[in-house]
Amino acid sequence: MTDYAIALTNVCKSYRLWGRGSQFATLKSALLKRDLALTPETSVEAVRDVSFAVDRGEAFGIIGRNGSGKSTLLKLISGILKPTSGSVRVNGRVAALIELGAGFHPEITGRENIYINGIMLGLSRKEIDARFDQIVAFSGIPEFIDQPVKTYSSGMYVRLGFAVAVHVDPDVLLIDEVLSVGDEEFSAKCVAKIQEMKYRGVTLIFVTHQLDQVRNLCDRALWLDHGEPETIGDPVRVVDAYLQAVSSTQTSAPRVAAAEPEAPRDDPNEEERWGSGELVLSRVALVDNRDNELVALGPGTPVAIEMDVTVRVPQDEFVIGIGIYHADGACVYGTNTDLEGLMPERIETNGRVRFIMPALDLVAGTYRIDAAIHTRNGRAFDYRRGAIHFVVGSRVHDVGVYRPKHQWKFEGGIAFNEIDLEQRNVPIEVAEAMRAARKPKRTR
Amino acid sequence: MGNQRTGRAGTLRAVEELRNLYRYRQLIAALTARDLKARYRGSILGFFWSLANPLLLLTVYTVVFTFFFPSNVIHPYPLFLFAGILPWTFFSAAVLESTTAISSNAGLIKKVMFPAEALPLVTVASHLVHFVLAMPILLLATVGFALHGDITMTATILLVPFLMILQTLFVAGIAMTVASMSVLFRDLRDILTNLMQLGFFVTPILYLIDKVASRPFRALLRLNPMTPFVVSYQDVLFFGHVPGIADTLLMIAYAFVSVAMGVTVFGRLRDTLAEAI
Repeated sequence: MTDYAIALTNVCKSYRLWGRGSQFATLKSALLKRDLALTPETSVEAVRDVSFAVDRGEAFGIIGRNGSGKSTLLKLISGILKPTSGSVRVNGRVAALIELGAGFHPEITGRENIYINGIMLGLSRKEIDARFDQIVAFSGIPEFIDQPVKTYSSGMYVRLGFAVAVHVDPDVLLIDEVLSVGDEEFSAKCVAKIQEMKYRGVTLIFVTHQLDQVRNLCDRALWLDHGEPETIGDPVRVVDAYLQAVSSTQTSAPRVAAAEPEAPRDDPNEEERWGSGELVLSRVALVDNRDNELVALGPGTPVAIEMDVTVRVPQDEFVIGIGIYHADGACVYGTNTDLEGLMPERIETNGRVRFIMPALDLVAGTYRIDAAIHTRNGRAFDYRRGAIHFVVGSRVHDVGVYRPKHQWKFEGGIAFNEIDLEQRNVPIEVAEAMRAARKPKRTR
Repeated sequence: MGNQRTGRAGTLRAVEELRNLYRYRQLIAALTARDLKARYRGSILGFFWSLANPLLLLTVYTVVFTFFFPSNVIHPYPLFLFAGILPWTFFSAAVLESTTAISSNAGLIKKVMFPAEALPLVTVASHLVHFVLAMPILLLATVGFALHGDITMTATILLVPFLMILQTLFVAGIAMTVASMSVLFRDLRDILTNLMQLGFFVTPILYLIDKVASRPFRALLRLNPMTPFVVSYQDVLFFGHVPGIADTLLMIAYAFVSVAMGVTVFGRLRDTLAEAI
């Protein structure tokens, strides 16, 4: 009796690096030593000491930079690769979507390829007969099924590959970055199919760079950094930690791209937005107590975050949340209605939300606000990362992010003289932002 | 039902390996059919190429050795040649092609959970199909020469399937060894290509082993594992006698040793294939 679907214990994987031109030498030495377990000259560790268990029916995401060992980990789970040390235990039938249609032969028809691919994935001929019509229907290309696969477009290829793979009825489904292929319609179909499999109790392991998929589909996530587990746990938290790490290395690294005059895509101020769109945050603004939109403010200013909610599909439950982040990615504060014990009532018509802060006690610097409306289990209706960017100016060059209300008191022999802080230079970017704030603003 | 995968070097469990192979029979059958279909897709004659190739070969031999270089020692020489050349071709083509069986399907090994041992066996199976398809041509030729009065037909032809089974086991074992090793040692294909050309002459295909004058060369012929197979095919197809007891025992021994070697070497190397490929 085991309740886990996958258990990894201290898994390490080193790739052997064979010396150039050494193959003949190794054949000779192998024959001399009479040992085919060759020792390579050097090796590189792709995965180092990874341990985790995934429960049956759990959806587990693996994120990380390119080359962090995600795909290697997936191949270890699937059994394509063997760990160098440690153990990988898997319960049940595994299907791996590592490359869709990898087993297709171009010269033979889609129909024949379905059979061969199905057999490769562990089905019998009879089982494929039973599923054949479903597979063809799901692929959406019935008119081409009797054509050789070499005549297919890459999209059709992928459709057929995915259709076969998800109809194998696996206990564990491993998915490597394949949901991003195909057109919008088919991607949505794939996500829906995967959600359906999740409800039927299939254990899912994702490797992806589409972080919103991790947030929306996964129960837990693992952030792998240089082959080692960095964080494991709640997907929203893990994804956030990962994003912060990525953006902070981006800002500290020499900004070669930013030096070019045209690099609008790298603009860190650009808003990132995702969600399913039943409820939309049509406007997010930072306003003062006279409803003026602000992009720059002094410390201790009373402000409010205003959000206009547009209803496209009425919802029974939803959560509204905000997060304030420092430019370097550190979270200053975050909360949502659910965390504060507010139970939503059914929403049918548009409305406005105000998050009022009598004083925003922040140290001078650049900040951003994320605003989101999502379901209680975290699926985003509309998530606006960096919906607002604002600057806090200050005459005092104190450090940190939070400025508690305070004063200095001196007794005894300690005394100070005050000087005029206006004399000191305000940091250029703050001064510029203050100037920009005085210009007429664009409305979002 | 759980399966455990650990990093320690796999212990050799030949029985389990063989059971796995049995489990993959559907896969091997499907892939063999795919290979054959893909090979002939788009060609006008299709499957008839499998018949046409040996037919053309036989015609050429007949013309050459009847009109240009008539042989006095063995008669009819084309038929003798054909009886030896078909099993040799099965052996050499299957073994040579198995050197690329795994590397030409790198996608399957790296991207799909795919039993790598199926690939060399698919190669062997599709060459076996060609071999079997050439048999009717050989039979027709035998009937033709018999009607002409050159030879008499005997029932020993019925022993051919038995020889084929033993030879297929022998070839399959070699193919598995070669397929897995050539992933690590890419030069194996070149070595084998040359060995096969040499091997053709060190196997009694063109001549009779008893007529070889040089004693050391005769000893060399005896050491060649393909010799008992080729000689036995010639026995049942051409000379019309049952294979000798020594040859039969040797064939069984070679088949057994070859399969054991193939399973062992492949089992040893399997875990490294996906990354070495």
